[in-house]
Amino acid sequence: MTSISFGSAELPPEQLEALRRAKRLEWATLAFLAGAITAVFLVMGNSQAMRTAWAEDLLSLAPPIAFLVAVRLVRKPPSERYPYGLHRAVGVGHLVAALALLSMGAFLIFDAGSGLVRAEHPPIGTMTLFGVTFWAGWAMMLVMALTIPLPIVFGRKKMRLAEQLHDKVLYADADMNKADWMTAAGAVVGVAGIGVGLWWADAAAALFISASILWDGVKNMRAAITDLMDSRATTFDDAHPHPVVARLEALLRGMSWVDDAGARVRDEGHVFHAEAFVVPRRGRTPSLRRLVEARKACEALDWKLHDVTIVLVDELPAEVGGRAGEQQSEARG
Amino acid sequence: MMRALRLLAVAVAVIALTIVSGCSSVPADPHGTLDRVRGGVLRVGATHHPPWVEAAGISPPGGDEVDIVTAFANDNDADLEWEVGSEQSLVEALERGDLDLVIGGFTDATPWTERAATTVPYTEATGPDGSVEKHVMLTRMGENRFLVALETFLMDRGRAG
Repeated sequence: MTSISFGSAELPPEQLEALRRAKRLEWATLAFLAGAITAVFLVMGNSQAMRTAWAEDLLSLAPPIAFLVAVRLVRKPPSERYPYGLHRAVGVGHLVAALALLSMGAFLIFDAGSGLVRAEHPPIGTMTLFGVTFWAGWAMMLVMALTIPLPIVFGRKKMRLAEQLHDKVLYADADMNKADWMTAAGAVVGVAGIGVGLWWADAAAALFISASILWDGVKNMRAAITDLMDSRATTFDDAHPHPVVARLEALLRGMSWVDDAGARVRDEGHVFHAEAFVVPRRGRTPSLRRLVEARKACEALDWKLHDVTIVLVDELPAEVGGRAGEQQSEARG
Repeated sequence: MMRALRLLAVAVAVIALTIVSGCSSVPADPHGTLDRVRGGVLRVGATHHPPWVEAAGISPPGGDEVDIVTAFANDNDADLEWEVGSEQSLVEALERGDLDLVIGGFTDATPWTERAATTVPYTEATGPDGSVEKHVMLTRMGENRFLVALETFLMDRGRAG
């Protein structure tokens, strides 16, 4: 009896450590956001950029929460009801995080754009703290400046962990942290601009920054949707097809009993599920032992390849590079 | 990352510039209201709302807020020019820049916040339904130097009793 570990993928030590650190980082992010949301709320007043920065802090709660919920769910072993396990929770989390990023970018563009078009002159008056009356802009700039450094650190750490863990929720959250500190910097510039009498500085700074946030949102949204649509597995940043697919096919083709092989691999979240189509040499069905060994070898290739199904075929299907496809497309074209 | 660093550098430069250029000139008025008012004319819109503003048949108007604005004008060596009208006509004049300040027993719950800047509440009173109402004045949007000067005056006056 071969023990086959479907379900909760056994993470290698390096990834286990990365996961632990990622979870700690996300809790730290939530704690930071709770503080920032309170502080910004207290000083935001009438500044467009400050109100936007606040709304943005609220939205940035979504990715860390999505991540923490997802990693909790994927630990559950497959059941009768969820025979593939709950890995897709990561994909759903990615969609949630991407939507938060996208709505933030869209909201910012609309908010800042309409402010500019209507030539709104934001009023910023005084604030009285401990009996001292001063221009509220100073307090706004101070609070916003204080919220800049931590998201930069968070974002860079998350980006590294996202690669190690192949976790796209973390990747989207790193983008969200970038959006956070950029809007904070934009608000500081905007309020300073208002201070020297440039009424449009606030909205212009927000507009400038919102374009980059919107782009990150679109990029993540597209990736989250295509992953849920079972597009071929890509790297964590969706820049390239994942190299493990080619390695899997090469491994199978190298086996003595294999004539040709092709695999379709989908991203389930942290892990991949693969269906490998194999054409045996001279049409001979291999022994059960060989099949079991081949399967084990595939899963040993990479921790992400944790559920590999091997299917014996007489000809490779078109979508994994078989000739059947070429003939069909020739006939069509 | 380079772009990010550049943005941060710009932010730091702007703050540094703001501080160097002196706290006395920050915030500034895009339309120079305070500079024009000092030693010049303060144009105030007043809408009838006793006891804050009594403008029915009295010219110039009287009332608590009129007294406060008169004291503020004296502080700034400014002459007063009054215009009496409805809230809407006065807020529109404020938006056009024909007025600097509008009074008439406004509270911090005024619906005009999209079109006029409200001062910090300078006093509290009990409204007709027994709830506490915080009274404010309206100034032109974005004229932050003038707004700060007026608010500072109101706060100092409040502290003096």
